[in-house]
Parts: sequence; structure tokens; C-alpha cells
Amino acid sequence: MDVTGQEERFRQLFAEEAEGRLATLSELLLELEAASGDAEVLASVFREAHTLKGSAAVVGLGEVGRVAHAMEEILDGLRRGERAATPTLVDALLRAVDGMRELIPAALGGDDRAAEADRLVAALQEPSAAGTTPEPPEPASEAGRPAETIAAPAGGIRGGETIRVPVERLDELVRLVGEAAAAYLRVGRLMAERLGLDPAGVPELRELSRVLGDLQQRTLRARMVPFATIVEPLRRATRDLARSLGKAVELDLRGQETELDRGVLEQVTDPLLHLVRNAVDHGLEAPAEREAAGKPPTGTVRVHAMQLGSEVVVTVADDGRGIDVGRVREQARKAGDDLEGVDDDEALYAIFRSGLSTASSVSQVSGRGVGLDVVRASLEAVRGQVEVRTEPGGGSEFRVSVPISMAVLPCLLVEAAGQRYGIPMHSVLTTEAAGWTEASVEGRPVIRVRDQVLPVSSLAATLGTGEAAAGPAVVVASLTRRHAFQVDALLGQREVVLKDLGRLLPRVDLLGGASVEPDGAILLVLDASGLVERARRTVPVAGVPVPSGTPARQAPPVAHASILVVDDAPVVRELERSILERAGYQVRTAADGQEALAMLAAAPGDLVITDVDMPRCNGFELTSAIRAEPELAGLPVVILTSKADDADHRRGLDAGADAYVVKSAFDEQALLDVVARLLGGAAAVGAPSTSADGGPR
Amino acid sequence: MTRAVLLPVERDWFALPMHTLQEVVAEPMVTPVPAAPATVRGLFNVRGQIVPLLDTAVLLGLGRMSAVPFAAVVQTADGLAGLATTGVPESAELGRRIGPADSRGAVATYAAGDRIATLLDPAVLLAPNGAGAAT
Repeated sequence: MDVTGQEERFRQLFAEEAEGRLATLSELLLELEAASGDAEVLASVFREAHTLKGSAAVVGLGEVGRVAHAMEEILDGLRRGERAATPTLVDALLRAVDGMRELIPAALGGDDRAAEADRLVAALQEPSAAGTTPEPPEPASEAGRPAETIAAPAGGIRGGETIRVPVERLDELVRLVGEAAAAYLRVGRLMAERLGLDPAGVPELRELSRVLGDLQQRTLRARMVPFATIVEPLRRATRDLARSLGKAVELDLRGQETELDRGVLEQVTDPLLHLVRNAVDHGLEAPAEREAAGKPPTGTVRVHAMQLGSEVVVTVADDGRGIDVGRVREQARKAGDDLEGVDDDEALYAIFRSGLSTASSVSQVSGRGVGLDVVRASLEAVRGQVEVRTEPGGGSEFRVSVPISMAVLPCLLVEAAGQRYGIPMHSVLTTEAAGWTEASVEGRPVIRVRDQVLPVSSLAATLGTGEAAAGPAVVVASLTRRHAFQVDALLGQREVVLKDLGRLLPRVDLLGGASVEPDGAILLVLDASGLVERARRTVPVAGVPVPSGTPARQAPPVAHASILVVDDAPVVRELERSILERAGYQVRTAADGQEALAMLAAAPGDLVITDVDMPRCNGFELTSAIRAEPELAGLPVVILTSKADDADHRRGLDAGADAYVVKSAFDEQALLDVVARLLGGAAAVGAPSTSADGGPR
Repeated sequence: MTRAVLLPVERDWFALPMHTLQEVVAEPMVTPVPAAPATVRGLFNVRGQIVPLLDTAVLLGLGRMSAVPFAAVVQTADGLAGLATTGVPESAELGRRIGPADSRGAVATYAAGDRIATLLDPAVLLAPNGAGAAT
């Protein structure tokens, strides 16, 4: 490598290093502010600034070095006790960090940024910014001072040695592994066709299949990054907005170790930032208003991430005033969308519609210029969904679900008009076996699924590929609608490796992706939102033919099973509640074993699902207490925990649990299967009914 | 002289610069894409890669092709695309320019041996924002 090449390499390395250091600096400065100038944190901040200065000097970026030096001087003053880490001082230091983020790429590109560096240095040296004018220390709960409780990721984020690899190289690896897997399948097919050999009977091919499977999983995993990657911008957004609005905000971040595909995380970052800003700006009340309402002056915004089967669910919740559904209705009416006759839960989803002007109420942060329709569109682009619930005076909760990876998608395979299609499993609510009964509401065919009445269409007719045939129905959920589709047959469920479709295929709303099948055929994966929208626009000519020769099914026996969910993590409690209620169960929740025992004494219910690690009375103790109480001894108990080792499993069963489910391995269906099994097959019923259009998911 | 591949499309011949052609696929196994624009005949598998098969006649505003027995796989900066043809594509040297061409993505008309062929510019004809336009 020549000198110029080496210099370029160093500068590239510096750009990468600086990006990481500035992110760390920003994090540490927020920590410094929250920890009131903690000496250890201060030492870390100083070290980062000092190292950045040294590295900048190595690559000849004097402008960056000067700004870092000015920061160092202020930090040195803090170390000597001459200055205090006031919010104003932290503001100035954060602005310098932001300034360097813009300065570095420009300076590396050869731009003369000396004037900009001078401006940043001068801003740092202003007496008010530099903290030489002492400010009184602010109490933790004072307005504008977000106190943060950050659950540290287990085992740390970094861990072990790492090297930087360009994302394109990883993408290329993922593609090549996919090609290898496809080639393997073609070889197997050729062997069967030409040599009459069953590939599954050839040990070498079985081994190759296993290795390729492992390789595919690990390559996909290499693209995964922890949720912690986007924590810093979330903290900054909360802190800066809270300060500018004079609000006291506690940001409760959990699940930072949850991993998902880098591309998905990138796509989900802006929607989450938007939801957090909304929560701070519109959700949380000012301290005085909160106190008048009997609330603590400091509002809380919870951002909890967790893996749920093949999805990552991030909940953004606040304990503020809640969304005024009446105002949403009014705004929707002004926008030409009459929500009369629509219940509040469904009307709430109007906030996601484009053109709904709610700038003064719920969906926009002043000056940002983007609404919740953009949040929805961004999430749909990565096959994500968002749900919302609100409680007047109690706060709002947005639940964002995105697939862990865009490359592999669990799908339900169906056949319609002789063609096979994949429907993403996260969009499939349930299926109805052939023989279901069709009814009609306002001239549109509908189907009863448990206690819900849903519109039903022929999938083939919706796709315009053929006529309906008597067959099972698949209930699909888009963001705001549920719709049943009659298909010729259900072919099973499996993971589909999605292929890049390139840029030359025009956008087709119905198409979510495509995959190459072992026989070389192409499997189309349908997009739930596009499908439901198209079905709604398609006026049925003669409706869906009622399957002939099959008796109408009777509704399942009603058994309103009551389940008590016990978990100290609100996000887990609410997820379980959501899953179980959607399946038709009645759900109560308790935050620990002691509260659960009190609730069981009042009403035993039909089943308990409990976490293990909880304050006051843990899940093992709760299970033992249930078994020791004669009136509760027969109550089925499911332990749902992240404790996966055998000893814990044995301990749970020894305590008397009927089932032990590990959280990282459980998915919605697995939980429902366990519950149904323990309830003796008593079907979940009694789900709240919705309009014939189907309610929000 | 430009080396080109001549694509028979119904009664017309169209020419593509030879270097843009990757391969010709006979009887492509096409998976129709529901609700796709008329330009899209479907998707087909080219050595494990999913490639859109485009109706060359619709792209050029000449109506829908009656059948697609062959596909010319063309390499562009935006990836691969299949251009449908109604007969076997032929290799030829483009001779003199004999006239202009009006269609979007068409450059000019040339003599090619005893045939007359309209030279296409794949970058314009297959531009991502253009392929779905002629519906």
C-alpha cells in the first residue's frame, strides 16, 4: 500500500472510530448529568474526549482536535471541582458532540471547516456554557431533568474480540449461502429424478444439508445487532425534548440485549424515535398538571424490547394523559372520515391514517412534520405492525412488532386456483377448516370466527387468478383490519428464505416477497395489508359459494376460562394478556407471587401463568404455595421464564408446575397450545366482537 | 458496426447491444404476479435468482404479446430483467441507421442484414420508474 493509500486507510479507520466514540461520549454525558457528576463517569468522558483528540491529531484533523481539546478543558474543570455538571453545561458538551458528528465527515472529505470548529470551541468557552457561572444543583425530579433507569444488557454488548466488517460483505455472504442452499436442493432433485436416489437416504447429503442449515442460521445471525444500538438516540431525544418542554421524564429502557437484523433495526429506529417524542411531547403532562391529577411530577416513558417467537416486540408506553379519542373522531370527521358506529378501540387507529391533521393533539411532534401514518408506513416496509391502546388519564401504549430478520420469514403455505402462496405467519390470526358457515352482512359475505364476525373473500378471486373452491379459510390481520380468505387447501407452515427481487419489478401491493422452491418454482409471499385492502375494494359479485355437502359447523362450547398472569415486567404481562385475550380468554394480572396469591384467594380462576424471578414471592414459591392450598391444589400452573437450564426446569416441576416454557423459545401459538392442553381443550371463547369489517389487531 | 442481439417481438425486430445480454431462456417457467402492471408477465428463475419477465411489446406501447416462448435475460445497473420474445433471438451486426424511433427506450432504426431492427436502450426501457408506467 502506498503512502496515500495508507493515509486514506487511517482516515477511514478514524471515521469509524470517531463514530463509535461520539456515540459513547453522548451516552456518557447523559449518564454524567443523571449521576450528578459521578467521578467514575467523568473519568470515562474525559478519556473518550482525550482519545478522540489524539486520534484526530494522528490523521491531521486539527479542527476536530481543537474541539475535543476544548471539551477536555471543561471536563478537567469538572474533575477539579471548579465547575458543576449542570444541564446547561451538558447541553453545551452534547452540542459539541453533535457538531463534531458533522465536522468529521466534512473535514475528511477535504472541506475547510476551521470556522465551524472555531464556532464550536467558542460556544464551549462561553461562561454560561462552560459552567463557570455556577448553577444551583437541581433535584432529581426537577423539570427538565430526565432521571433514567437503564437495565444493563446481560453480559454486556461488546464481549470478546470484534472486527469491523462492511455490511455489504455480510449481505453477499447471506446471498451466497442462500444460493448454496438452493443449489443443494437442485442436486437432490436431480439425484431423485435421474438416479432414483432419495437424497434423505444418502448420509453425505444429510450432513451437507445440516451444515448448510447451520451456516445459513449463523450467517443470518452475523447481521444481527442488539437493540442497545439505538438506545443513545432514544435517550437523547427524551432528554432534549424534556428539557425544551420543561417536563420531568424518566426513561425506562429494558431488553437492550434483544437482537434483530440490522436492516430491520435501522428501519424501526425513526418510528420508535417518533413514538418516544410523541410520548414526551403529547403524552406526558407538565409537572404541575400531573400533580393536580394526583400523579408524581415525573412522567415515565417505558421502552421495552423483547423477542417473541420470530418477532421482536418493542413497547413504547407513557403514564400521561392518554389519547383523546373524541378529538381523534373530530379530526377524522374533518378529514372526511366519519367514525360513527365504530367503537373507541378501532376509532383510535385513525391516528395512523394519512391526512389526519392532529398536529395539536396526538400524532405529531411540533416541527417534525411527520405523522403516525409515516410510522405505520415505515413499519409496514419491514413487515412490521403497530398496535395502540390508551386509557384516559392513565397513558398510552404503542406496541411495535417487527420480524427479527427480513431474510427468513415463517409463512403459512396455501393453495388458491392451483397456485401456491405464502402468507406471513405474523399476519395469520387463525384458520377455519373446510365446512365453515358463511353468512351475509349488508350484502357482503362474512364468516363467524369464535365470537367475531369477519368479512370473507375467495383468495383466488381477490388475486384475480380464478374462482373460489370449497376449502378452509385463513383469517389475516392487517394493521387495522381482519379479513378471512377462502383457499383451496392449507399446505403447512415453514420458514421461507426471501430473495431479493431487484429494482426492475414495479411495486405490487399484494406482493410481500418471493422465494425459490426446491423444484425451482417461485413461491410468492403475499402482503397482508395489500391483500386485505384489495379484498375490501373488490365488491363480491355473487359472494363466496357456500361449501356444499358439508354440514354447518356448530359454534364451540362456551367456556370463559380465566387465566392469572404473574410477572413483574409490565411488558411481558401485557404481551401475555394481549395474546390470551386475543384468543378469547379472560385475563387477570399480578406483579408478583404475593399479589397473585391474594387474587387467587379472592377468585381461583382456571389457570396460572407465572414468571420465576419476581420480588416478594417468586414463581417457584408461588407454585409451591398453590399446591399447598387445598382449594387451589388442582389449579394448572405454567411457568414461563427466561431461566432455561435443566436445574431450574426440574425445580419448577418439583414445585408442582404443570408446564415449563422458556421465554426465548416460546411463541404465541406454543403458549396457546400449552394453555389449551392444560385446560383440557376448553376452547378460548368470548373474544370481544367487532364490526363486520373486523376490528383493529 | 455494432454487435447486437435481435429480438423478434410479434412482427417487429428489436436490437439490444450484445454486451447487455446475459443469456436466452427457452420456455421460461413463469409465475404470474397477481395485480401486477401489464408490463410484468411474471417472475422466473434464472440460476436461483428471481427475475421479472417483462412484456417487451407492452413496454414499447405495442399491445400485449400473444405468447412468450423465449426470454432474453438482460443485465442492467438495477439488476437482471427478462425481455419476452415471440421467437428465437438472433445475433447480428447492425448496419447503417435508416431512421428515427419514437417509442420510449428506442434509439433508432437500423439495417441488420436483410432485417430492419429498432435499437433499444435497456437503461431507459427498463428504468425502475418506467417499467410499470405503460399499464
